[in-house]
Amino acid sequence: MEIVIPQVEREKDTFEVKINFRDLTVNKNDIELALGYTEGAIPVHFEEMVDDVLSQLPSHCEIQAGYRLLDVNKSDDRNDGLFVGDKFFKLHKIVTSQLRKSEKAALFISTIGPAMETWAKTLSTEGDIALSYLVDIVASVTEEQTTDVLQDHIEKQMQMRGLKITNRYSPGYCDWSVSEQHLLFSFFPVNFCGIVLTDSALMVPIKSVSGIIGVGTEVKKVNYTCDTCGMKDCTYRAYRRGKTKRTN
Amino acid sequence: MDELVVRISHCVENGKINKASPYPNAMKGMEGADELTKQALDAAIGPDAILQACNDGMQRIGERFSRNEVFVPELLMAAKAMHAVMAHLEPFFKSGTVKVKGKFVLGTVAGDLHDIGKNLVRMVVEGNGWEVIDLGVDVKSTKFLDAIKNTPGCIVGLSALLTTTMVNMSKTVQEIKIQFPATKVIVGGAPLTMDAALKMGADGYSHDPQGAVTFLDKISAA
Ligand code: B1M
Repeated sequence: MEIVIPQVEREKDTFEVKINFRDLTVNKNDIELALGYTEGAIPVHFEEMVDDVLSQLPSHCEIQAGYRLLDVNKSDDRNDGLFVGDKFFKLHKIVTSQLRKSEKAALFISTIGPAMETWAKTLSTEGDIALSYLVDIVASVTEEQTTDVLQDHIEKQMQMRGLKITNRYSPGYCDWSVSEQHLLFSFFPVNFCGIVLTDSALMVPIKSVSGIIGVGTEVKKVNYTCDTCGMKDCTYRAYRRGKTKRTN
Repeated sequence: MDELVVRISHCVENGKINKASPYPNAMKGMEGADELTKQALDAAIGPDAILQACNDGMQRIGERFSRNEVFVPELLMAAKAMHAVMAHLEPFFKSGTVKVKGKFVLGTVAGDLHDIGKNLVRMVVEGNGWEVIDLGVDVKSTKFLDAIKNTPGCIVGLSALLTTTMVNMSKTVQEIKIQFPATKVIVGGAPLTMDAALKMGADGYSHDPQGAVTFLDKISAA
């Protein structure tokens, strides 16, 4: 049965998406991959610790997610970014070309809240550094999963309007400056989804992700164009590669 | 080399803390860094030799980490085993019988709250015989400057995880270089490169903790 996640329109075209922990499928293989191990190569001791963390994960997640739909204004003479609403986002030409045919854009943010972070900090203070690190990694993977679920949700919502979506892109990836987080957050109500942006463009809680998804009749999802990007050690490249390996 | 010392080194490298510790699987039930250090001291093996064994073990695991043969969890277990050894050596450090290689002031720069990378650097550097003065996260440049003033001859390490906080890193490096031109600074963290490090006026960059140790050892040897 297909899961329908409820959403609430908090302001015009600004939606809070009520993602539940049960909507996520936190995959142990993704955790192993995030730790650096190839599938099945994690030492037994750490695998048991990961199992332990996973068993306590639901009670340490306070998921909040949302998005705002805005008009995209095309500027044919520029390939260095895009007007979203009344603001210009400076993007790499690869991302600009993926989003160019969008009529709308969904700016999104999501978080799993601060509890995993607090747990990891407590463990670290108590000297249990390995477990603390595993808690942190499980939290990161869970947050990535949350964003996957949010993206699927946005896709379904747009399908209901007869629209398609692009891949998601985040400030800090694909040559999109992290400082543009300030621009992105300017479109959200203050404290939206319980996330605060600091002066240095850091989201608090730390386990949060932001980004943009293009929406329209002419857009499509494509394989990530990691090969054309100069950032060779970007983890998203590795993450994507790992996912592709497993699903294919 | 004494067999006990070799075993201590092996325990540190493989993260075997004590007999009760179930890690690593292959050493379950065996004596660990804790028991063996005690035995070594009882057998009148010098603390210097034990410290060297500890450093060697940490260096080997650090190098394996750099080669992607092991990952952060293994490195952390090694650091824990190393701490078990250090607990026994504490009185010798206090009395001055054994000496650290030097002092390393470390922190995550202002505006940045990330601590895992910085903590890893701390543990590996400590494990290699340095005293680390950890200033924590979100450290303003004034705090770095105060620490340098209070720690003559120290080397400074700065960590950052986002390009936006690299701006503060750059400012901090510049302020350090103005007030303490002779102080050596190394920077690290995911968004950094050697190029960016040199541009901001740092003396070194490393993408992993072991590289920071190599940098420090080179300076102390010079
Ligand atoms: C003094 O000498 C030294 C020497 C060595 C030193 C040193 C000092 N300090 C560190 N080192 C070195 O030693 C340590 C051990 O090897 C290392 O320390 P690290 O702290 O780097 O490593 C830790 C032990 C483990 N590493 C980590 O914990 C970070 C791993 C990566 C994959 C990562 C993760 C997991 C996450 N992230 Co994000 N994330 C990435 C990271 C990519 C990467 N390859 O590192 C990075 C840091 N993230 C990035 C970005 C952009 C973002 N992330 C975000 C979110 C997330 C998740 C929530 C999904 C998750 C958790 C984040 C967290 N901080 O807890 C966002 C920001 C979150 C926020 N709170 O503001 C967001 C802004 C994306 C968005 N728009 O939503 C990139 C930053 C690039 C930039 N331009 O600034 C990034 C490099 C990914 C990339 N593009 O490849 C070395 O750097």
